[in-house]
Amino acid sequence: MPRLGLLLPAALFAAPASAAAPTFERDVQPVLTRFGCNAGACHGKARGQNGFQLSLLAFDNDADYQAITAEARGRRVFPASPDHSLLLLKASGRVPHGGGKKLPADGPDYRTVRDWIAAGSPRTPADAPKLLRITVSPAARVSAFRESYRLAVTAHYSDGSTADVTRLAAFSSSESVYAAVSPEGVVTAGPIPGEAAVMARFAEKFAVSAVLVPLTGAPPAEVYDKLPRANFVDGLVWAKLRKLNLLPSEPAGDATFHRRAFLDVIGRLPTPDETRAFLADADPKKREKLVDRLLDRPEYADFWASKWADLLRPNPYRVGMKATYALDQWLRESFRRNTRWDAFAREVIAARGSTFTAGAAVVFRDRREPDELAPLVSQLFLGVRLDCAKCHHHPFEVWGQDDFYGFAAFFGRVGRKGTGLSPPISGGEEFIHLAAGAGRGGAVKHPVTGREMAPTPLLGRPIEVRPETDPRAALAAWATAPDNPFFSRATVNRVWADLMGRGIVDPVDDLRATNPPSNPELLDALAADFVKNGYDLKKLIRTITTSRVYALSTTPNDRNAGDGRNYSRHYRQRLRAEVLLDMVSDVTGVAEKFEGMPPGSRAVEVWTARAQSVFLDSFGRPDPNQDPPCERAADTTVVQALHLMNSPNLHRKVTDDAGRAAGLANGSKSAAEVAEELYLLAYCRPPTAEERAAAVKRFEKPGATRRQAAEDLMWALINTPEFVFND
Amino acid sequence: MPAWKNCAGVSRRDCLQLGLGTLLGGGLATALRARAADAPHPSGQAKSCILIWQDGGPTHYEMFDPKPGAPAEIRGEFTSIPTAVPGVRFSEHMTRLAKQLDRFAVVRSIRHDQGNHGAGNHYMMTGAPPRIPVGCGAFVSFHPSLGSVVAAEKGAPAGLPPYFSMPSMSRSGGPNFLGAKYAPFVVPNDPNGAGFKVRDVVLPEGLTADRFDTRTDLRTEVDTFRRFADKAAADPAAGLDEHYHQALDLMNSKEAQAAFDVGREPERGRDRYGRNAFGQRLLLARRLVEAGVPFVTVYDGGWDHHTDIFPSLRTRLPAWDHSVSALVDDLRQRGLLDTTLVVALGEFGRTPQVNARGGRDHWSNAMSVLFAGGGTPGGQVVGATDPKGFAAVDRVLAPENFASTVYAKLGIDPGKILYTPQGRPTHLVSDPTPIKELMG
Repeated sequence: MPRLGLLLPAALFAAPASAAAPTFERDVQPVLTRFGCNAGACHGKARGQNGFQLSLLAFDNDADYQAITAEARGRRVFPASPDHSLLLLKASGRVPHGGGKKLPADGPDYRTVRDWIAAGSPRTPADAPKLLRITVSPAARVSAFRESYRLAVTAHYSDGSTADVTRLAAFSSSESVYAAVSPEGVVTAGPIPGEAAVMARFAEKFAVSAVLVPLTGAPPAEVYDKLPRANFVDGLVWAKLRKLNLLPSEPAGDATFHRRAFLDVIGRLPTPDETRAFLADADPKKREKLVDRLLDRPEYADFWASKWADLLRPNPYRVGMKATYALDQWLRESFRRNTRWDAFAREVIAARGSTFTAGAAVVFRDRREPDELAPLVSQLFLGVRLDCAKCHHHPFEVWGQDDFYGFAAFFGRVGRKGTGLSPPISGGEEFIHLAAGAGRGGAVKHPVTGREMAPTPLLGRPIEVRPETDPRAALAAWATAPDNPFFSRATVNRVWADLMGRGIVDPVDDLRATNPPSNPELLDALAADFVKNGYDLKKLIRTITTSRVYALSTTPNDRNAGDGRNYSRHYRQRLRAEVLLDMVSDVTGVAEKFEGMPPGSRAVEVWTARAQSVFLDSFGRPDPNQDPPCERAADTTVVQALHLMNSPNLHRKVTDDAGRAAGLANGSKSAAEVAEELYLLAYCRPPTAEERAAAVKRFEKPGATRRQAAEDLMWALINTPEFVFND
Repeated sequence: MPAWKNCAGVSRRDCLQLGLGTLLGGGLATALRARAADAPHPSGQAKSCILIWQDGGPTHYEMFDPKPGAPAEIRGEFTSIPTAVPGVRFSEHMTRLAKQLDRFAVVRSIRHDQGNHGAGNHYMMTGAPPRIPVGCGAFVSFHPSLGSVVAAEKGAPAGLPPYFSMPSMSRSGGPNFLGAKYAPFVVPNDPNGAGFKVRDVVLPEGLTADRFDTRTDLRTEVDTFRRFADKAAADPAAGLDEHYHQALDLMNSKEAQAAFDVGREPERGRDRYGRNAFGQRLLLARRLVEAGVPFVTVYDGGWDHHTDIFPSLRTRLPAWDHSVSALVDDLRQRGLLDTTLVVALGEFGRTPQVNARGGRDHWSNAMSVLFAGGGTPGGQVVGATDPKGFAAVDRVLAPENFASTVYAKLGIDPGKILYTPQGRPTHLVSDPTPIKELMG
């Protein structure tokens, strides 16, 4: 990994333990890191612990050396009698220590620290060999259930030497259900098939060992060969299932597929007529044709724009209503036009103009500092979480403060003219532009060194930006170049997660070596296809939704029940708040009214959380006024169950004289036909013969009116998981 | 024993938590365990907490920390009055609380460095300062609120949600990474209004119980959606089933319905709290606590007095004093005060200098917080601000100490380690030191 050494002085000095006296950076810091002394929950937290503060995971050697040798009136080290140094008295538990007994007095690590103190607490000479990288072996292994084996970690130094540092390495597993790892580096495979990335960390370097735990008993090869393939997605998923000896679920039936595609592509339910027509259609290509029709429908834009609004929608109390509206409308227009995704990203990253008319510019009204913009852009478009690196080296990643502030420097010349923020109204207009001359007030400085940072892309070299050029344009060009390793992968992963229920990388905006994709070949292929297709989101959605993998049933079989990552079956998703509310309105035939919006507006068209809705809030609509603002809860809750059962609003919709239930009851349809209509509306399938018969009985019950029976049946359907989930 | 042993079928979050034992090696995990063992056993006796959130930032000058000796532009328009504790004075409108000071405590020396509402709210409601902005978030801290943590730690009797917030949730009053399960149950309706009902726990107007039974019966009939029996398949429909049954329990719980029904309170009892929305919410809070709810937030908006602070407080403070003193008194008479902690606070205090618009602005260098019950020794004022009220100078305390006190009183170790879904360990409170004077 380039440039890390510059950032982290620890890296400069670490070297194999030798017979010579221990030195600080090389020998002592790894001990403090290994035993968690400088961990985030102990002395490494921002304010230290009991007055003793170390830098998180030893990223600041100077400060740590100072804290250990000079602070606390020098009591922490006592060269004349090293065993009486407070550092060792505490660490060995000989005086009370909140962190407990870390270094037993007879152990090798205690001796390292004691010998270092006895030698006068020397620092490691600047010309000592540098730690270049670490490797872990085995780097990959196929493991049987419950099998155990030991990892070995080797440090590689600039003088060509190596050292076994297993004892001083820390280990963690990305998925300990599939493969757990002990503090000593012993991996134990779990009792169910799956994969895990086991990370070893030494000093600020890490390495990953991939563990694959297949299901016992391999199905014959021809079973996999015979699986259907509609496009490249299928072959890549089947290949992965084969590695794990998993078998895919059955294909979903037509009705399930039809409902799923509607909800996934345009965020609404099909009408009974649409369902009937699809089920009756004998065309073998009807599923592909359905997807094409859906992608052309106007609802597509609002639905997909609303997902991006989750990520970009500002707090109207902060930026003003007009600016909030401008951003929202710009988003919807982008999806209406199916703007190429690279162009969309460029428009955001390098946005200029009025916050009243150039919607994307509002992002820069909301986020005003380079250090707020850098993590936003990296997370949104590159799937990289940089925020940890603002303050410290990311413990499981390559990113450090150099990377963070180098990236932030792209935003050093964002200029603003006009009326700034004045919460809670903030109604003014601002113009986002390129501020004059580099280095004039706008320069981004490294918070520790004070050095002015040159705009630097992730994993790249500083970019020369001419004074008349906006550095953001250079960033946008880098991000959207076809060979950018992050942009297309991050995008296809988000869309895949929306459609499939879980990202190939999960969470979707956390791409890193220690959080590997469940199917790297698939991620790469989707990304390459996306680039080849001109960053066309609709084509991407089409590729995914016309695959056989997308069309699998959610019902597990006995060779895939435990699989939640490899798409051997479709994963159920609770529907989003807005979609669910629109579904309720469609089924009941009574539109929702939103404050400040024209009658008949749909929930996916709502452009601000200030439009009050108990329904939307109950089902987890993110509120940009909340903390954290973009979190959309997908859980089910008691509040949701109660709301669907008892809310006066829902009751009104079900029982409205002008609503669907009343209309069906007053019409000429037979009880069986009314029941069929309601099943088609809510579940998007006809009732089975038994369901139909049972429903008819309700209509014929003594004392029941048609109206009541229709209302009750509608209520019952809405209150079941079959309605609330996308199956 | 391998960490995955109990893991199959549980949520990924649980797995991550288990995995964390190994994540940071023996180092942190062992440190944390050792820490937990070393920590003094929390001496909490409180079963419940009522948190009165004075949104906007209540003035310390006009409530619990008057500065009669300061120049008029700082002192303001109100005079001060003596309290039940010799030598301690409150501002003139806090008459009832002043007489009751022997039964509760005021901390005058909490301070922090967050001068805006979002950040101040976050710090006080969670005990954690707002951190680095991430993604689209301006003030993201990844920290759950006091109420959500108490809900998760203590639970509630069957049929009752463990955390209520009335009439709305405060900005940072949510569960964050603990999950929606621990979000507050919000009661937006006004219990002072005629026909008050707690939202969605009673049948909507016009629907009879018989009809509802027909519907639930019918629901069972139409619910043929396949559930995946294999736990490893982690069927989310199972979660909905659980919540559906909890919802029915809540609707059928006589205790819950009785607690919600403030109309059962005798007229005199209602009058005592003040016949206004705030007073009746405190009454409802008491009823919920009686029913076993461990955390109730009463959100009391409108304390952001940038203009005309004196005319506005002349009417507001007497009513507030009336309602809050009634709550403390009522809890005491019912024998509930020892097991119920009442706290009243906002984001911060307000500026010393009265501004040109006759208001006071945000001031986080000093704030006053009321603590009553839950074993809080009464009759004391902890800490002090300087003679002009600029800053906490004696026994300077932080929001962390406030949060730790609340947790410790409720029997929750403030030094406890929580794990985010990403597996990041975080202390419940980074400085888990309760305010010892309040611990009894």
